[in-house]
Amino acid sequence: MQKAKTAGSLSLPVRALLIILPFAAVFISLFFGRYHLSLSEVVFSLIKPQSVSDAARVAVIHLRLPRAIASAFVGASLAVSGAAFQSVFRNPLVNSGILGVSNGAGFGACVAIVFFGGGVFTYIFSFAFAVSAVLLSYFAGRISRVTTSITMILGGVIVGTFFSALVSIMKYVADPYSQLPSITFWFMGSFASVNYSHLFAAIPMGVGMLLIFLSRWKLNVLSMGEREAASLGVDVRKCQVLIIGGATLCTAAAVCISGTIGWVGLVIPHIGRMITGNSNQKLIPVSISLGACFMVLVDLLSRTLTGSEIPVGILCALVGTPFFVYLLKKTKGGFAT
Amino acid sequence: MILNIDNLSFSYDKSPLLSDLSVTAEKGGIICLLGPNGSGKTTLLDCVLGFHRNYSGSITVCGKDVLSLSRPELAKLVSYVPQLHTPAFPYTVREVVLMGRTARSGLLGAPKKDDYEICDSSIARIGIERFSERAYTELSGGERKLVLLARAIAQNAPLIVLDEPTSSLDFRNELLFLEILTDLVRKDSISVLMATHTLQHPLYFESEGIDSKVVMLCKDRPARTGTPGGLITPETLYEVYGVHAEVAEIHTDSGKTVKTVAVSGIDNK
Repeated sequence: MQKAKTAGSLSLPVRALLIILPFAAVFISLFFGRYHLSLSEVVFSLIKPQSVSDAARVAVIHLRLPRAIASAFVGASLAVSGAAFQSVFRNPLVNSGILGVSNGAGFGACVAIVFFGGGVFTYIFSFAFAVSAVLLSYFAGRISRVTTSITMILGGVIVGTFFSALVSIMKYVADPYSQLPSITFWFMGSFASVNYSHLFAAIPMGVGMLLIFLSRWKLNVLSMGEREAASLGVDVRKCQVLIIGGATLCTAAAVCISGTIGWVGLVIPHIGRMITGNSNQKLIPVSISLGACFMVLVDLLSRTLTGSEIPVGILCALVGTPFFVYLLKKTKGGFAT
Repeated sequence: MILNIDNLSFSYDKSPLLSDLSVTAEKGGIICLLGPNGSGKTTLLDCVLGFHRNYSGSITVCGKDVLSLSRPELAKLVSYVPQLHTPAFPYTVREVVLMGRTARSGLLGAPKKDDYEICDSSIARIGIERFSERAYTELSGGERKLVLLARAIAQNAPLIVLDEPTSSLDFRNELLFLEILTDLVRKDSISVLMATHTLQHPLYFESEGIDSKVVMLCKDRPARTGTPGGLITPETLYEVYGVHAEVAEIHTDSGKTVKTVAVSGIDNK
């Protein structure tokens, strides 16, 4: 019965690897940047900060570390909520922004930038509007008496379009010399301004990821359809609320500290499917780990490739697309059979 | 008594679709639902499965009222083999069968080691080990039906509900499915409620010596309940389907007596 024990979940070495990889990525990212640091400087600024120069300490502890941690959380959150939404909505084309999160958050950010001068209001407003967009989508999808995953996706698309129209209005009224550029940069996504105070967003992301992680088996069953899931003993409504709630905490918190980063929530889950198969028992942990690593490394590139920052949302697509095509060619795709 | 449907009436709008229907299934008994399209077969299954809740009358499984049970509780009493569909993601056969164990884990739980063991023994019980690691979506219709049956076995419920289980199966696969089902009823004393369009199914179960009943549903007329041989007669077939048919008895080489329906024409009125 040894086989029976292991076949459903990941083997121990793989689990260890999935945990170690994001930490390794964060550690590696501490070495690179405009200010060159040696191995000993990095290690000592982590374990004995008073023994290194101020410049080294600031670069590692106050600039690079919070940024790497934030990008790890954001990458993991977007990837895992994308994977969760794909199963809940039984649709491999769905991504983490399907319920209007990005446009809702974008509108919140616009309101904060135009009326309140940005700053901390940007985070509060983008988070609040991201959550409201999801709630609106969820209830819009539930208005129709026949609720299927399609009506909920439709609700998300409609609410997303609504908020994107509101964003256009805000852009139209924004000051073109100061506010409009801020809005534009916000939509490109960036970790450039992240510091420790932003890591409060790790709390909702952590809670959201935990909820999805604990529901990972139910995701398999839900993806068979609501009727079938119910006949197999799943309380469909309760499960959906838990999972969509978790994914909303993840994506809203992610988008409020990094702006919109689109590519990760669609493609990282598919890369996971190609590597590990479709069972969410394996896919969810793999997506968390891959998403974190990918985002840390892409952010590293975004701040080191050229003299000035390249917005991370742009790089994600530029780096990720060829990688995805390469994997597609090697594995013939994880879901298309 | 495993299933007791008592005075069940149900309507989608004003005109009743099911009215005053009563039928019971004992341990190791089969109920076959027959009737034309739109006569309420799937509706009746949906009432038993707890999908339709605003009916009058009562449905109990193992003495418990279906309406009083939570989803996990009901899933421990009733398993369901749905009509064929293609899931969005190509889970392996083993992963699909394992889903039968869902009701045994909590809201945030996942299958444990003994669930995997039960899953594997259900796969062995149905005899589908040879494709247990293949993608469910790659299988033929007949193979998929067997996988869904294995999943229902893993669910370990005293009653299995099947919705037209052999539609889209070829001649041999249909018989294979019926033989496996018969074996489950005989050896594991499972009770079965199935909707079917094939008159031969209840006749087959009867000739195999299984305690079998037929519920013949008919739009705008009360349902009839009886034994397969007693109810599948030229008169009822004409009344319910508007088909002229004869029922013949065939004595096979193996010593069985099998009834079969021969059709001679349709009444176009």
